[in-house]
Amino acid sequence: MTDELHHGEAGERSEGAHIQLPAPTFWPMVFAFGLTLLFAGLVTHWAVGVVGFVITFRAALGWWHNVIPHEEHEEVPIEPELRPAPILVETRSVVRLRAGEQGHRQRVPEEVHPYSAGLWGGLIGGAVMAALACLYGLFAQHSIWYPVNLLAGVVIPGMGSATLEQLRAFNGLAFIAALVGHICISGLMGIVYAVMLPMFPKYAPFWAGILMPLFWSGLVATTLNVIDPAMNGRINWLWFVICQLAFGLVGGYFIARSTSIKTMQSWTLAERAFVEAPGVRPVREDEEK
Amino acid sequence: MAHGHLVAEDALTMERQWKLPDRGTVGIVFLIVTESVLFSMFVIAYLIYLNKSLVGPYPKDVLELPILASICLLSSSGAIVFAEHALKHNRLGSFKLWWAVTILLGAYFLWATAVEWRKLIFEDHLTIATNLFGTTFYSLVGLHASHVIVGLIFLTIVFVLTLLGFPIQTQLRRVLFLSWYWHFVDAVWVIVFTVVYIIGLPR
Amino acid sequence: MAAIDYPLQRPKAEPGEFSFSETLYKWVATVDHKRLGLMYVASALIFLIVAGIMATVMRVQLMFPNGHVVGPDTFNRLFTMHGTSMVFLVGMPMVAGFANYLVPLMIGARDMAFPRLNSFGFWIFLLGGLLLYYSYLGGGGLSGDGSAPDVGWFAYAPLTERGFSRGHSSDYWALGVLVSGFGSIASAINVIATTFCMRCPGMTLKRMPMFVWVMLIDSWLIVVALPPLSAAQVMLLLDRYLGANFFNTQNGGSAVLWQHYFWIFGHPEVYILIFPAFAILSEVIPIFSRKPLFGRPAMVAAVVAIGFISLGVWAHHMFAVGMTSWSNTFFAASSMLVGIPTGIKIFNWTATMYGGRLRFTTALLFCCGFLFQFLLAGLTGIMLAVAPFDWQLHDSYFVVAHFHFTLVGGLVFGLFAGMYYWFPKAIGKMLDETLGKWHFWLFCIGFNLTFIPLHFAGMLGMPRRIYTYAPGRGWELWNFVATIGVFFQIAGILFFIYNVLRSTLRGQPATDDPWDGWTLEWATSSPPPEYNFEKLPVVRSSRPLWDLKHPQDPDWKWE
Ligand SMILES: [Cu+2]
Repeated sequence: MTDELHHGEAGERSEGAHIQLPAPTFWPMVFAFGLTLLFAGLVTHWAVGVVGFVITFRAALGWWHNVIPHEEHEEVPIEPELRPAPILVETRSVVRLRAGEQGHRQRVPEEVHPYSAGLWGGLIGGAVMAALACLYGLFAQHSIWYPVNLLAGVVIPGMGSATLEQLRAFNGLAFIAALVGHICISGLMGIVYAVMLPMFPKYAPFWAGILMPLFWSGLVATTLNVIDPAMNGRINWLWFVICQLAFGLVGGYFIARSTSIKTMQSWTLAERAFVEAPGVRPVREDEEK
Repeated sequence: MAHGHLVAEDALTMERQWKLPDRGTVGIVFLIVTESVLFSMFVIAYLIYLNKSLVGPYPKDVLELPILASICLLSSSGAIVFAEHALKHNRLGSFKLWWAVTILLGAYFLWATAVEWRKLIFEDHLTIATNLFGTTFYSLVGLHASHVIVGLIFLTIVFVLTLLGFPIQTQLRRVLFLSWYWHFVDAVWVIVFTVVYIIGLPR
Repeated sequence: MAAIDYPLQRPKAEPGEFSFSETLYKWVATVDHKRLGLMYVASALIFLIVAGIMATVMRVQLMFPNGHVVGPDTFNRLFTMHGTSMVFLVGMPMVAGFANYLVPLMIGARDMAFPRLNSFGFWIFLLGGLLLYYSYLGGGGLSGDGSAPDVGWFAYAPLTERGFSRGHSSDYWALGVLVSGFGSIASAINVIATTFCMRCPGMTLKRMPMFVWVMLIDSWLIVVALPPLSAAQVMLLLDRYLGANFFNTQNGGSAVLWQHYFWIFGHPEVYILIFPAFAILSEVIPIFSRKPLFGRPAMVAAVVAIGFISLGVWAHHMFAVGMTSWSNTFFAASSMLVGIPTGIKIFNWTATMYGGRLRFTTALLFCCGFLFQFLLAGLTGIMLAVAPFDWQLHDSYFVVAHFHFTLVGGLVFGLFAGMYYWFPKAIGKMLDETLGKWHFWLFCIGFNLTFIPLHFAGMLGMPRRIYTYAPGRGWELWNFVATIGVFFQIAGILFFIYNVLRSTLRGQPATDDPWDGWTLEWATSSPPPEYNFEKLPVVRSSRPLWDLKHPQDPDWKWE
């Protein structure tokens, strides 16, 4: 029985110039028509249903005749002019990137800046920022201690009710609190910069220097009345943002200057596990030469 | 310029080893899948509406266990296996015998259903419109009975063709599919019987 | 056996020597999967235009408050026939059409597994659709005022019972959809059997094109999800004709049973409808990004997961009927669960484009439109899966906007992408890219102009299916803008129709492989000969044409 071939009816059975395909037949169409009429009889007139039944019955006979004892086939001539165009080999050669090769980015970033660079960049940025803030204090309130006292308000609750005079005056406790706080935050932010910089697109220090301070300012602006009411009432947002940007640009610049180190993520698992055995590590292009 | 061919050099060996399921098998299996879903919808409706009828008659008043009919239908599944076996080994006489037995057992089942329905309709005055029991009972059992009827029609066609001398052994594959359908109808009866006559009839 | 078989030998024919009746016979009696596929798509497009005109009339009616274009009865019939046609006579045949045309070509077969059943499936779908439309003449039965069904596309019983729906209009709905459903089942079983049994040597399931995988799962969903609808329709017909009590609340029947049965079908149905778009995107995006599909195994796993999870989420359409809070919780959770595999797919398509060498052809533009719009549809879908949110916006224009974003913004955009992509293969002519871009931009702008405002109208409380509304509720602007958008969409569709006609008649002839494709359909001529392949191909990877084009770096080395 040829139709038991696993390819089904229209399988590989070309004999020379012809290919066997199932023969056209209108009986399935007539069968569908009869069946529809049969159902349409329910909503129109019983006679329609009877006609439908007769047609369905006749079509079923026709359909059976088509497949029993054997499915009818037709020999379709192979038309040479319908042959597809040959599939051309692409002349451009393709090189497949492998794990560990140059330029094979599995995850961004490939290289990161050392944390120490982040720490130093943060501290330098923090110093610039502090200088700018003091400059602002000098211009606006004729005292470089004004911003220092305001910053100390984060940890010293009494600052909230301090008068302008008190804010202008030097306060040893407030100075130490502000200094420690500023150094910690600057250092931490610098480390965050070092981690994030490689993930920015081109001109990373520039984008990071602009975007990060803006985000940070937004965060501070929304939470400041909770953490430092003294500062919240007296802050000059323009200067605040300028100081932040100075931190971002200066810190970013210093971090970006550092020599970056490769992550191991493009290594294979065996390499990262420091397994030393022949064949474990893929041979890289440059080593082959 | 070079160009490739879709038929590789090792194509012939690959083709010779290339085995795929038979399309008729897959077709009939998925027909059975879709039919099973259809049946399960009516079974669920029966179970949801169990004991929800507002007026009688209720199942416990009117239903009797169709033990004999069920035995007949289920044993027809066995008979068709014998028939198939005989056909596979080209024993036409034995095939005709078992095939006839299958048809008779199926026909008896249908007859028993008809008798049951006549009793329910004319003696117990339970119609499809009477209550929820009538609605779900007649539709579920009726759906099954309609499948028995379709099966019987096909079985009869095969039988008549065989009697007319048609070389039925050439149609072994189709006979096989018909028997699967028949097994399916029987299996559905097991579920219908359980739902209607066991779960639906509190003792 | 062979002795009985006398195949007809068809003489070689010169093109152009066929008379009209011969051509007609060729199409009516055909069992060729390509012809049937084209007929499916063509009839679906015709129904799309008809149902689109209905939508236009409704939008014009709602453009201003107190509209007078059509009356309430006509309006009810319009939205019923619009919805029913779009789902059953446009979406379903599109599934069948694309699967029919492409699956055998992609798996290297010469036809479907059951060619005659295939022809039966097409004709019964078409005749079922015509039976449904015949209701405009015969819907009222012998009582005279014949017209179409007016019960909405989900035709909630008991409102479709004899007591509430006189005449035959609801019978036409049930019968027309039931009959065309036979066609869907037939073609689904056929696709399954074809993918399992007709693959060319070497085409293992692992190497099968993503399109075929999605269509396989789609057919699985049709096979298991359509019978509940058929069962419910049979029950409804028993109620209406024989006085059964399935949905007859007077006699203890349930008012919710229909909803359950309908949505057991209805939710998988939306995945059945969107799957062709998934299938098309999975082929088009890689080709125009010049990258293999990202995360292929995950894509297959996601589509299989949807094929099962989507069977268990149906009652999120019923939060407002008052189920138990456990059911609400379950169905809300499962509905959100189905968002996970869908999210995987969106991510993987995006990742396929990421870093690729993009060629923004019209097909890829439509894919991009899909990605944005379907994402938005998915997000509003997650919102609606939250039961309390759904209580607020159930049956409002927010829901209308949500599912039009899935079905128009998703499915229709995907289908257009597929048409621009495979038109050269099917017809042998390229679709014009300039006209195509006009089509895309007009349609995309028009679509968003129509359906984004409807979200707001819905949130302002505009219920769906109202035929008019009083001024002063804040709905005027949104409705006005929505209707303006419709005209942009119509303009886009006109560009499409003109493009198809012009390109068919005197378009630029297509080469066999115009897009530098990777799957088998591009290995045959455009349009393919009746037998598809002179010699059945043998494949060794999921991108057989890539292998041939790059013999120094074939895929099979890496799979
Ligand atoms: Cu849903």
